[in-house]
Amino acid sequence: MKKRSKLYLFLNKESSAGVVFSMPFIIGFLAFLIVPMGLSLYYSFCDYDILSPATFVGLKNYINLFTNDQTFYNSMKATFIFVIASVPLRLVFALIVAMLLLKSTKLTGFYRAIYYLPSIIGGSVAVAVLWKRMFAVDGVVNMLLKSFGFAGDIAWLNNTKTAIWTLIILAIWQFGSSMLIFLSALKQIPTELYEAADVDGANSVSRFFRITLPLLTPTIFFNLVMQIINGFLAFTQSLIITQGKPMDTTLFYAVNMYQQAFGFNKAGYASAMAWIMLLLIGFITLILFKTKRFWVFEQE
Amino acid sequence: MKKKLRKSLALMCAGALIAATITACGGSSNDSAKSTTQEGTTTIEMAWWGNQTRNERTQEVLELFSETDSSIAVNSQFFQWDDYWSKMSTLAAGKKLPDIIQMDHSYIATYVEKDQLLDLTPYIESGAIDTSNISDTIMEMAEIDNGAYGIAAGISSPGLFYNKTVLDELGITMKDNCTMEEFIKIAKEVYEKTGYTANIISSAHGVDSDIWSRTHDLQITEKKLPASDSTEYTAYFELLKSGIEEGWHMSPEYITDSASVEQSPLVYGSSPETMIWCTVNGSSMLTAYQSAAPEGVELGLTTVPSDDPSKSNYLKASMYFSISANCENVDEAVKVLNYLINSEEAYEILLAERGIPASTVIAESITPLLNESEQKVVYYINDVVAENCSPLGPADPDGSSEVTDLLNKLEEKVGYGEYTPKQAADEYFTEGNRIYEEKQ
Amino acid sequence: MRRKKRNIKIIYHVLVMGFGIIMIYPLIWMFASSFKESDTIFTTAQNLIPENFTLENYINGWTGFAGNSFKSFFQNSLFISIVATIGTLLSSACVAYGFSRCKFKGKKILFGAMLVSMMLPGQILMVPQYLWYQKLGWVGSYAPLIIPFCFAIQGFFVYLMVNFINGLPRDLDEAAKIDGCSYYTIFTKIIFPLMKPALITGTIFSFMWRWDDFMSALLYLNEPAKYTASLALKLFSDPGSSSDYGAMFAMAILSLVPIVIIFIVFQKYLVEGIATSGLKG
Repeated sequence: MKKRSKLYLFLNKESSAGVVFSMPFIIGFLAFLIVPMGLSLYYSFCDYDILSPATFVGLKNYINLFTNDQTFYNSMKATFIFVIASVPLRLVFALIVAMLLLKSTKLTGFYRAIYYLPSIIGGSVAVAVLWKRMFAVDGVVNMLLKSFGFAGDIAWLNNTKTAIWTLIILAIWQFGSSMLIFLSALKQIPTELYEAADVDGANSVSRFFRITLPLLTPTIFFNLVMQIINGFLAFTQSLIITQGKPMDTTLFYAVNMYQQAFGFNKAGYASAMAWIMLLLIGFITLILFKTKRFWVFEQE
Repeated sequence: MKKKLRKSLALMCAGALIAATITACGGSSNDSAKSTTQEGTTTIEMAWWGNQTRNERTQEVLELFSETDSSIAVNSQFFQWDDYWSKMSTLAAGKKLPDIIQMDHSYIATYVEKDQLLDLTPYIESGAIDTSNISDTIMEMAEIDNGAYGIAAGISSPGLFYNKTVLDELGITMKDNCTMEEFIKIAKEVYEKTGYTANIISSAHGVDSDIWSRTHDLQITEKKLPASDSTEYTAYFELLKSGIEEGWHMSPEYITDSASVEQSPLVYGSSPETMIWCTVNGSSMLTAYQSAAPEGVELGLTTVPSDDPSKSNYLKASMYFSISANCENVDEAVKVLNYLINSEEAYEILLAERGIPASTVIAESITPLLNESEQKVVYYINDVVAENCSPLGPADPDGSSEVTDLLNKLEEKVGYGEYTPKQAADEYFTEGNRIYEEKQ
Repeated sequence: MRRKKRNIKIIYHVLVMGFGIIMIYPLIWMFASSFKESDTIFTTAQNLIPENFTLENYINGWTGFAGNSFKSFFQNSLFISIVATIGTLLSSACVAYGFSRCKFKGKKILFGAMLVSMMLPGQILMVPQYLWYQKLGWVGSYAPLIIPFCFAIQGFFVYLMVNFINGLPRDLDEAAKIDGCSYYTIFTKIIFPLMKPALITGTIFSFMWRWDDFMSALLYLNEPAKYTASLALKLFSDPGSSSDYGAMFAMAILSLVPIVIIFIVFQKYLVEGIATSGLKG
């Protein structure tokens, strides 16, 4: 037996190794996240107009948010609608297209790029201009609807019922990023399992529901959690395409928060909004994690 | 073989990271050395918002300045409007505002109240900033609490931009200083005969309500709405409601004006049903609107309709140049500022990009160099508005941005039929006052 | 039988291609518009094909702002994106391995902290982070745009890799342990090399996000020469003056090129993983 130094033995314990490997995040969190996050939490209990120092006011911001602010509720509602409508649809499209483009042929590489392209141009002003153009009363979307025989006169961006859908459709259009993650995960499913299933005489439908889907559940869970978090924090599209109009139906929570901080110089109020959102998302994520054991396949 | 490749790859990555860290940290230490003196040169930081043209011209002028005074170098930063203000607020929080900043009438009072700007009075009195060619009316625009906190970089005035081609075809002439009654008559005729609607209230640009307020003595001068009760505002919302119901005013349910000139329904659209024939904006925007307009469409500029044009018309600084309170090299900054206001060679480059220059001497010297639209603006400012206007009044007090946002939301609600004019007026009065009260 | 298979193939390609064209129509529009005269982009929005084909937008756009051409903007963006991506991948892989394969006290709390750090709206951190970086003396440099990312602060990548490593059979680890390997050797010699798909996905995402991030560039860069492409693109449209949409579209198209290249090159390596290549044997 080789004599091992105490330090070596210590470092090679499972618990120590775990901490050593987590060090980058521990350092990063302490060096770059904890101070700004702590400051923002402090600001949430203050009146802070950014241009002059913050003054402590206790729970005033939180109370005002819940009792005195209709815009707060409007933006919460708009964001909820956005998340509930766009997240499931995004995931469904992402999975379907990932399945369709699974085979790595020359053409699929090109196809994957086409379906991924929309998610690259994410928050650029160019997309905002484009989207407004497309959904204008005389825009492409209406033209398409007309050619299929539907009424093509909808003022998408002005109608309080349809405006949010322009943003939802934008989010769904950008499903490429989720598709990429599904692609990568699908590739990890052992082909031997499929071969065994073929021997047993399974058709492609049961292959999908019995093998693919169950093995994909961890990735579906991952995508679900990430998309929900991103959905609640959605910002740029609302800011540059609709600016929250008409009548706050497209006012995303983060945009409202940003307006309060930088538009009205109420950064303390906005910080309170931020932390409320954090608690909300945290709560939803916690529930999701609790449901994990019911439907997510764990490989142990 | 593979092992060697992986090892060298890992080493390269580590090397790249170390190099990057050194560059990154080195960059910051370089900057701190630059900010004071470097072989006897003082560096001044300047920031402004603008587009490609303004950035280029201003940069050229700053370099020209360094040629005239080699002891001062100016470092510039520029962004677009929204990003600019986010950045300025953040810099102000860290007490690192650039020495010279471009300022706007809607922000200046707030920045002054929070002690972020320098009072320029001593420098004006000593003559370090030569304001002899700038009228008192203009100098007063940046006067807050008896201090001068900015020098106007250009003059502008709100104006009604209208589709002259359409009006010509109908045989209608838009005359200056038009009253609201006359305007509505014209708007109705245009709507009936062509389908174009007007935009006189829905503010995408925030100027419309100013005109109406001034006409009815409801201008905001302190942190409180000047009306004694909400009924004084009902007429405003009723004007909007009746305009939409009668059809001659743009209905937000169908079309909205855009802050971006190129996408404004004044110049952009496929048929009159989706377009407007007039809108309200600052006079400096004429060049932008005219170039965005389709071929063959000529735009006109006149005063914004009101019941009392001499009361409602006003000249304002399109923007100011201010010096930040934490500026360390004030004398040098003042020199640059003076150059930016008074140098003829500078304005041969800048022209009227920021508005009509504040110095009458400069304004005169560059007029022949201006393009057609800009000359129309000069005529509008000097011969139409200046002859028939009242003073600008105090800068918007802190809290005004929220009150303006409230007004916009109420205009929307009335436009969509969600609120009656009375409800809107009531809410504007109560909420507006509450907002200002919180800022006391 | 063979005809049926060929027909299915044809239908497949038609559908995928057709739907794909609808997907990228907006981008095709932007591409076509970049060759139209700037003033006519909106007035001729219905027609894709430019009446007067022109390259002026590319020329005007490339000259950039006040003497800083897009060459420097793209260079800056490339530098930042590449270095930050490498840093993100390496650090996130380490942390992910720790979370996935090691049990240690406080793991749940750390993982929770990581998730929670993703839930705070970034805009609210603008001022506090600026004040903090100002204290560190990093304002005016690229440090805030690169260094934090080298410390796995973006939970997305850690979680992505945790998910992936969880899917790798533990038998490999066990076998290596029996052979006397330490956790560290297992990571460097076994797990990390197998993480290719996760690293590739991570590369594509990280590069794209660093490339598109303009908020950090806005706050921390004081010289136009240091601006990144994403920040510079926004300078084309100022609501207080006229905007040059032609130049903006042209530069936006160019800005897409690096990301598309990275995607096309890397997605080829999304191959079947360890479990499927029969290495277990």
